[in-house]
Amino acid sequence: MQRNYSYITLLLLICLLGVSACQEKEIVTVTPLKGSGFQNDVIKRTLGPNVVGLDIEFAYAMALPRDMGRITSAQVEASISGASGTYLEHRSFYTDGGGADVGVVVGQPSATEGRITRVNFTADTSAATLRYFYRIPEEARGQSVNFTFSATSSNGQTVSYTMGPYTVGKMDLKLDLNVVDAGACYISIADMAVYTAAQAAANPDKIDLVYLYRTIPNVTFNHGLVSPAADAQYRPGITLPAGVNRSIKIRKAWGIRDFHLARTQFGVYIDDLDFQQLNLEGEPNFAINMRAESGAWVETADGRYRAYIYFNAINNGARSARISIKRYAL
Amino acid sequence: MKKYFRIACVLLLVSVAWVGCKNDFPVDEDGLLITDRAECFVSNFELLGGDFQTVRTKNPVIDTTAQTIQVEVFYGTDLRNLFPQFSLVTDAKLDPKITGKVDFSDLANPKVYTVVSGNRKVRKPYTVYVTVQKP
Repeated sequence: MQRNYSYITLLLLICLLGVSACQEKEIVTVTPLKGSGFQNDVIKRTLGPNVVGLDIEFAYAMALPRDMGRITSAQVEASISGASGTYLEHRSFYTDGGGADVGVVVGQPSATEGRITRVNFTADTSAATLRYFYRIPEEARGQSVNFTFSATSSNGQTVSYTMGPYTVGKMDLKLDLNVVDAGACYISIADMAVYTAAQAAANPDKIDLVYLYRTIPNVTFNHGLVSPAADAQYRPGITLPAGVNRSIKIRKAWGIRDFHLARTQFGVYIDDLDFQQLNLEGEPNFAINMRAESGAWVETADGRYRAYIYFNAINNGARSARISIKRYAL
Repeated sequence: MKKYFRIACVLLLVSVAWVGCKNDFPVDEDGLLITDRAECFVSNFELLGGDFQTVRTKNPVIDTTAQTIQVEVFYGTDLRNLFPQFSLVTDAKLDPKITGKVDFSDLANPKVYTVVSGNRKVRKPYTVYVTVQKP
């Protein structure tokens, strides 16, 4: 009887140990490519939302065993024709020991016909990695776009690889607008442009904001974005052109260095969704003490546009700033 | 051997019962621990704007005797959309709770927040006086 109890206890202990010791561990495995012969692969190099006017960049790699022949052509077919500036590199890039990308010419510069961009190889090579830059056209706004990458070898073999679909945002982008106090200081969100007082007088219904720079004793004013309808104390010394009287909702933002606008190292992107979910109810119609790398969310008085205005740079001496705008039409 | 095994089992059961039957610590209606601390004061105060940056021009003046907080904010601060932050003594809590932006624009009727001590027996209302920087 005693022995039975000992055995049972021992057995239970072993089971307990077994349960805790045999937990499955996740093991990372690498799946080798199936088969051999002509192979191809694609990676998308650009991150973030796709905006009309910007590029989507891919790297298209293709290779076949040397004894099977050489590559004769490579092409990309987009579901929507790319805008002017779409091209497939005719150089194959590799990264050298110093981290620099080095290009080796493998063919003629690409030619684009309709939706197809093609490179005919001139080099005798059995491996290449070509970069494809798709300039997002106006027709793609709010649409999805697919890409079919394909390559042909001298033995008649063809390989292809499909990428996408990628949704193109509805946003607009305008970079590097220079605003100057008492100069080109009237900002139109509708036009995504900056006007002088004379130009603003010609388009008063399009002026949403006035840029100004003030140094007022005892207060911190500096660079400001003020709507024409704001209290006069926030736009001191400004005589508005006739008819310029619109208001706007504005909220200062800090730390939102959108990659498209700032073009710095921060991987922050403002997407359509941010504008869709933005709620500026109850926000004021002016923002002062704007700093470099800060920004402001705005919504026009007519409710037609929401936008993010980013301050790329400010210049206290010249009383000016360089701004970039991302805009979403509601 | 059987006797030892039984003793071991009984000890195990007793220890399990002891661990399982310990009284819970008291918690309040918010699920926060009620402790023995009777201290009740604000140790620091912050006001953030819509961009989550401070709008204070200088350190706030916290009077724990008069139970007031004096804070000056930058010219042009949007007083309707501010995020107050209180630092309280250990175990204390704030009433009403701060759940989002707060409207401080009614300067004639300053906001009052009550600090509740860790033992939940002492309540001290603090009045927040906001003044705007003037040119």
